[in-house]
Amino acid sequence: MTTNHATLPAVGEPLLTLRGVSKAYGTKQAVAGVDLAIPRGSIYGFLGPNGAGKTTTIRSIMNIILPDSGEILLAGEPLGATARDRIGYLPEERGLYRKMKCVEQLAYLAELKGVPRREAMERADVWLERLGLTENRDKKVDTLSKGMQQKIQFAATFISGPDLVILDEVFSGLDPLNIELLREMILEEKEKGTTILFSTHMLAEAEKICDAICLIEGGEVILDGTLQQVRERFPVHTVRAAWRDETEPPTDLPGVTRREKSEGVWELALAEGVVPDSLLELLAAAGPLTLFSANRPSLGEIFLAAVARHRGEVAA
Amino acid sequence: MRKVLTVIRKEYLERVRSKSFVIGTLLGPVLMSMFILVPVLVADKGGDEHRTVGIIDLSGEVLESLSFVLADQGRGNVELEPLDCGARDRDACVEELRGQILDGTVHSGVVLGENFYDEPRATFYNQSVSSLVLREDVLEPALNRVLREARFARVDVPESVYTYLSGRAYWDSRSVTAEGGEQVQNEAGSFVVAVSLIMIIYMMVIMYGSHTLTAVIEEKSSRMAEVMLASVSPGHLMLGKVLGIGLSGLTQFGIWALAFFVVSQRGVTIGDFSLDAAMLTPTILVSFVVFFLLGFFLYATLYAGVGALCNSIQDSQQFNTPLVMGLVIPMMLLSLVLRSPDSTLAVVLSLVPLFAPVLMFMRVCVETPPMWQIGLSWALMIVSIWLAARGAGKLFRLGILMHGAAPTWASLVRMLRS
Repeated sequence: MTTNHATLPAVGEPLLTLRGVSKAYGTKQAVAGVDLAIPRGSIYGFLGPNGAGKTTTIRSIMNIILPDSGEILLAGEPLGATARDRIGYLPEERGLYRKMKCVEQLAYLAELKGVPRREAMERADVWLERLGLTENRDKKVDTLSKGMQQKIQFAATFISGPDLVILDEVFSGLDPLNIELLREMILEEKEKGTTILFSTHMLAEAEKICDAICLIEGGEVILDGTLQQVRERFPVHTVRAAWRDETEPPTDLPGVTRREKSEGVWELALAEGVVPDSLLELLAAAGPLTLFSANRPSLGEIFLAAVARHRGEVAA
Repeated sequence: MRKVLTVIRKEYLERVRSKSFVIGTLLGPVLMSMFILVPVLVADKGGDEHRTVGIIDLSGEVLESLSFVLADQGRGNVELEPLDCGARDRDACVEELRGQILDGTVHSGVVLGENFYDEPRATFYNQSVSSLVLREDVLEPALNRVLREARFARVDVPESVYTYLSGRAYWDSRSVTAEGGEQVQNEAGSFVVAVSLIMIIYMMVIMYGSHTLTAVIEEKSSRMAEVMLASVSPGHLMLGKVLGIGLSGLTQFGIWALAFFVVSQRGVTIGDFSLDAAMLTPTILVSFVVFFLLGFFLYATLYAGVGALCNSIQDSQQFNTPLVMGLVIPMMLLSLVLRSPDSTLAVVLSLVPLFAPVLMFMRVCVETPPMWQIGLSWALMIVSIWLAARGAGKLFRLGILMHGAAPTWASLVRMLRS
């Protein structure tokens, strides 16, 4: 919309690239040599526990802190002040000017991203309508409910029509209804061609919305790729099984790391690399099998496995 | 640069449209004139209260003359209440006078010796130190005149000789203009104008400086700092805020200046002081505007730096005090500089950037300091503003990383060094 799309890479090619980005605060290494390639047109999950280095990496991208080393490229160009206008950022630490009217607030933030004043006002009205806040157009922000304020913050991030949007813990503190509304909007924006970097520590949320992910822990990227690739690299599965009678699964099953029973169904966690098929025969031999299902691993399980593998490598 | 303009526009409109701006613009001149005119008016009227002074005239010759002289000198408000001692001795009589002072029948008392014209002795009885004014300004001169006139009369000096001997010189002050000419000097008038202009600088700098502080802290308290930094560089954001707030201050001042001009065209006299724009010479006007702007921007950028470091107004208190001191100290040094504006001490003090808006401007008002000194003080202020603005931008960027912890002097030094 505001930017020249001729300079954008093709869909699927890296829009934002980080190479060896590092940042230390005193003796604490917050980010240690992070490499990232975020494909254009995707929703890219930037995942990791609190304190893993997500916000430091994002602040480096936004030029709010200066990394000690490494380079950051947007569409192949080093990030400068003008490139920053092509990125929308909704930080975890976010608010609004309380005494400003909604429409002026949106227009002001759009203008600061380089949208001309007149157009900024028009876009502000469009967004207020889209969010169902038109009647609050001239109200001051502090008269709005918290949910409404969060919608305004969300709109402010997208109003300049950025190529890349960074959302840091965007769903935290929202009720389920608003989470659903925002998720739909994120998907809508993706359809329009916006690339989204979705940073969160809630892996289940990321799993529902992301095309590709990167897991970061202790300032290092320990896993990245599309969800499909990640699952293939971490073939961690669980098997659910039940028998007609009170049969219990054999205790000496190969590759089973954990067995639990809940509501008559056994859940068996498999070690990395063990395929579910290998168990079918052994379980069927134990008794009259009524249920057998192999389940894809959740991102949470993959994350735990990846951390374990990473620590093993570091120790070795 | 367009972003700086956007920030300026927002900050400016937000202030100019606010109710407090309208109220402040209307009340400003009222407060200002109270500051300046109330002391002038009070000084004019001071000592007008009715006072009863009990008097014991042991000589019996002075009382009448004293009453006459007091009336002649326009001190009709001081009433002499003679105390008749009759046959009592002096001590008993004075005791009664003390009693009258205590129960409030008279305000104070004077006892005059028996042979007053040969041995002029007077004792003043009073209850508070403030009565000193009555003694020094009213009773003493009057009594001296009574004594002088009586002694002249004793030696038969004719009236004409007396008038001749007690003649006084008439003084007239002229200020030498830059062109080598002269003009009648209205010392009281120029002094009041100088002090008013300094008060304006002082008040505007304090008021709008703290506006800047609040505006920068607002970015943090409304948790907008990180959102803003994603769009604007911290230096540009600080610049936009300081300029936007500064412009709103100038707007307010412009309104006042216009009102002053209109009023002075019609000519207004309050007490002895007449409002006359002619006192504002071009030199004073130009340096006023420059000192006003530089002073404002210096303090505003320093306040912005403090705001960038702090998360709340409470946090800012400890850093605020030295800044306010920077303005209060020169106000206290004003009389020193006024007495000898070209002394080494005054020159050095007036070159200190924090003091210059008050002290150097005062020097410009009372004399014309060498151009190089004025120029140097401007240059030093500009350098300070530049340094303060850079520091403020840096602190703002770093400040968002230190949420929660209240800032300390040590952390300030560490951050500025990093």
